[in-house]
Amino acid sequence: MRLRPCAMVGLMALVAGPALLAAQEPPLRQRIDAELRAAWQREKLTPAPRADDAAFLRRIYLDLAGTIPSYEEAKQFLADTDADRRTKLIDKLLADPRFAAHQAQVWDLVFFGRNPPNGDATRKRDGFRKWLAEQFAKEVSYDRWVRGLLLAEEGDTGLFYVQYRSRIEETTVAVSRIFMGTQLQCARCHDHPYEPVTQRDFYGMAGFFARLTFSENAGGKQRRYTVGEKSTGEVLFSGSAKEQRPGKKGDPVKPKFLGGPPLDEPPLPKDFKEPKAPAKPLFSRKEKFVAWLTAPDNPYFTKAVANRVWAQFMGRGQVHPVDDLSDKNTPTHPELFQAMTRALAEHKRDLKWFIREIVNTDAYQLASTGKDADPLPPYYERARVRPLSAEEMVAALREGTGTNAANRLAGKPAPEGATSEYMARYFGEPTNGRGDFQASLQAHLFMNNSGNIRQMLYQRKGSLSDELAKSKAPWPDKVDRLFLTVLTRLPRPEERERFVAFLTSEPRADQLIQDAIWALVNCAEFRFNH
Amino acid sequence: MNPHVTRRAMLKRLVVGAGGAAVANFGGLFNSQTIADEVRRSGKRCILLWANGGASQIDTFDMKPGQPTAGPFRPINTNLAGLQICEYLPRMARHADKLAVIRSMHTSEPDHPGGIYLMHTGYRPAVAVSHPELGAMTAKYCGSLDSDLPDFIRMGSTGNGGAGYLGPLYQPFGLDRNGRLSQFASSGSTPEAVRRRADLLRFVEESSAREHRAEPFQAHRLAQERAWRLQRTRNVFNIDQEWARARERYGDTGFGRNCFMARKLIEAGVAFVEVGQENYDSHADNFVCHKANMNILDPAWSGLLDDLHERGLLRNTLMIWMGEVGRTPGINNRVGRDHFVRGWTVVLAGGGVRGGTVYGATNPNGNGVRDNPVTEGDLFATIYTALGINPRVRHFVGTRPIWATPEGARVVREVLA
Repeated sequence: MRLRPCAMVGLMALVAGPALLAAQEPPLRQRIDAELRAAWQREKLTPAPRADDAAFLRRIYLDLAGTIPSYEEAKQFLADTDADRRTKLIDKLLADPRFAAHQAQVWDLVFFGRNPPNGDATRKRDGFRKWLAEQFAKEVSYDRWVRGLLLAEEGDTGLFYVQYRSRIEETTVAVSRIFMGTQLQCARCHDHPYEPVTQRDFYGMAGFFARLTFSENAGGKQRRYTVGEKSTGEVLFSGSAKEQRPGKKGDPVKPKFLGGPPLDEPPLPKDFKEPKAPAKPLFSRKEKFVAWLTAPDNPYFTKAVANRVWAQFMGRGQVHPVDDLSDKNTPTHPELFQAMTRALAEHKRDLKWFIREIVNTDAYQLASTGKDADPLPPYYERARVRPLSAEEMVAALREGTGTNAANRLAGKPAPEGATSEYMARYFGEPTNGRGDFQASLQAHLFMNNSGNIRQMLYQRKGSLSDELAKSKAPWPDKVDRLFLTVLTRLPRPEERERFVAFLTSEPRADQLIQDAIWALVNCAEFRFNH
Repeated sequence: MNPHVTRRAMLKRLVVGAGGAAVANFGGLFNSQTIADEVRRSGKRCILLWANGGASQIDTFDMKPGQPTAGPFRPINTNLAGLQICEYLPRMARHADKLAVIRSMHTSEPDHPGGIYLMHTGYRPAVAVSHPELGAMTAKYCGSLDSDLPDFIRMGSTGNGGAGYLGPLYQPFGLDRNGRLSQFASSGSTPEAVRRRADLLRFVEESSAREHRAEPFQAHRLAQERAWRLQRTRNVFNIDQEWARARERYGDTGFGRNCFMARKLIEAGVAFVEVGQENYDSHADNFVCHKANMNILDPAWSGLLDDLHERGLLRNTLMIWMGEVGRTPGINNRVGRDHFVRGWTVVLAGGGVRGGTVYGATNPNGNGVRDNPVTEGDLFATIYTALGINPRVRHFVGTRPIWATPEGARVVREVLA
């Protein structure tokens, strides 16, 4: 019989102790490549060649900084002959403030999605993202910032709970899905059909959130929420959905850790009366839950984040989808999954360390090209292809059209109108329910025809069209600059030839230049991180 | 092996049709979303005439003459023995043999946003799942991604759910208030300039397609082609000349014009068209509102039925008339009727429907359903069945299975042909 991964992790830690193991083991990046290579041999797969520098450059910028490199950054990197140039670029980007901001954006979407409930309260999340970015900038470990998030006592962290407010079943589903990679929603109405999770387990978990309170201070733009906790209040369990009857109230369920013991809770003092606006409860269930969740020996927490971050960079979780770590859903690379979970625990759940290991692997740096059409190869024998998020699209458009450069020269940004809102609407959720990419007609019409995009192509001092129009360089050089700025690569010979012909087909090139940029920002290569 | 890999591998070989039958897939499919497109098409179409705000059943198709709540409108006979409808629907009275009137709707969302969602998706709004509208589901199972036109087009005040978990391929395509192509549909450049830059983009795609073959690249390129094809269809949307002749039949109103546009779009192969009509939410002056609305609705709806019938399109086109709620039998002190979900009316016609049917009944004073209650789930199961879509077709949101209609939804066979 094979031990389940979570049991193994616990066992290994007990036997050897983390420090000892760390001393013996090679860096995680080597372990990853060795395990993946072994799987390719076993599955008789030929890996794609190493991505060329230009492909790597675009990919690593988008993954770590959430945008494409500027023309100058691209030129500089492609001229670099240092053998360690990739590792050095990775280190540079991991230290760039854009890294923290981008990770905050990625996690913000994990927590809220595109259409969070309670939209009035959760629409403006600048403060929440700022708090998250600070955690990444200060290199706060994952368990520590999750603790801060779920205690909901600093900054706008409370917004995570505020989206569900008193619907604690939703809170329970979200917390267990995101932080534990566990799907509990089935057990909400009946015992889980395929997993050993009962409805009582579900309400046992819900009990930890039953006493949260929400108070709103100030209204309008200043609206802030304070999440508090009472000393009383229970979840009522009234049987399966089938047994529900009007008027049936149900029995209180004591909090119980999933797969663990019930919460040991002191009784309330006799004659206790709940104060009107309790700041702190006599005994905090929330704190107990957070302590259990983020403890080093929690059976779900570390492997869930290891899998999620792996998928963020490698495309597919070793358990896929990333929030379904059940016994039925075994990892593609079980030994590697254990090893990386353990290593992340040993490194005190330092996500930046983990990310650095992943993006330094040969596997991450493979080409994405090849015959096979699967955008997320299950054995990682090619790099994944993923659409840019709406935020990455906006950032890449601003960089690729020279809008950023023009803004810097002007000393102020050009008015943007509703570009970001449109992009979120049309590019926000480009998948079906299963996560497969879908392209929408409206997204293309917006990119093709909107004034929002068109104005990025206009000649403004410093913009790409302006630079190309004013440059005295020969046309082939200008086409090189065009491609490097928009697509982060040089044109192929036939592309250079065709674009030179296009741009010189009329005496005045101004409109043709804008059309050429238009063609490149509308092409599939721009739309994806590949 | 990872079960999701198995699923993808399986999808590549099998296409599961709307009826649940597996069809071998011989084409070189690139994308699981397009698999539905490869399924043999039923040729079914659907038009939803949406009574925004919620029409009063007692003042239209479920009149209660002699009751204290009857209101001032008189019933008239129709061409269906035993069915009387409101005097302000005289043209529809001549089409009653084509209608299936369901008088026993009992639904679960009494207010507008929830009701609009409910009566477009068959589900109550939920936090975790965004359900697709009827139009998106029809687009997926009855539409054709090869078409020049979008599969789901709508005008006026309509649904609020969009494509939900079915994804952007099935997103509704809105026309503006006047039934014209809306913003972003055109670049405003000369055709020559548009062609010039389109040629350049096609060249770039062909060049990159040699290296980049992953599914998403291909999906992107196809959607771009679709955006260009839409430009080719501009004349479908230009109905000014024909409207001069059709306005008499449809009534010279915005809603009438949009109904005429719906006919043009159905004829052009669009799977689902929704046309919204405003001003049913008559908490005050119910009778003034409803008389005015019926004067608009009667010629438009009957004109559309005539037109589809004459062109042989009605056979395959399901028509639905409904809003998000019905209205109270009781008349309030502002001569209005409020929201009512415990006994109201939906009318079906055309493809798949047994014409000349009255199903279910409210009790004599209209205060509730007497016979054969129909829930929103039942209605959607019936609609999907009429369209040849399996009401239990299953999709996934993450790991969670979701069915097209809620568990226990019952097909009302009595109204189907």
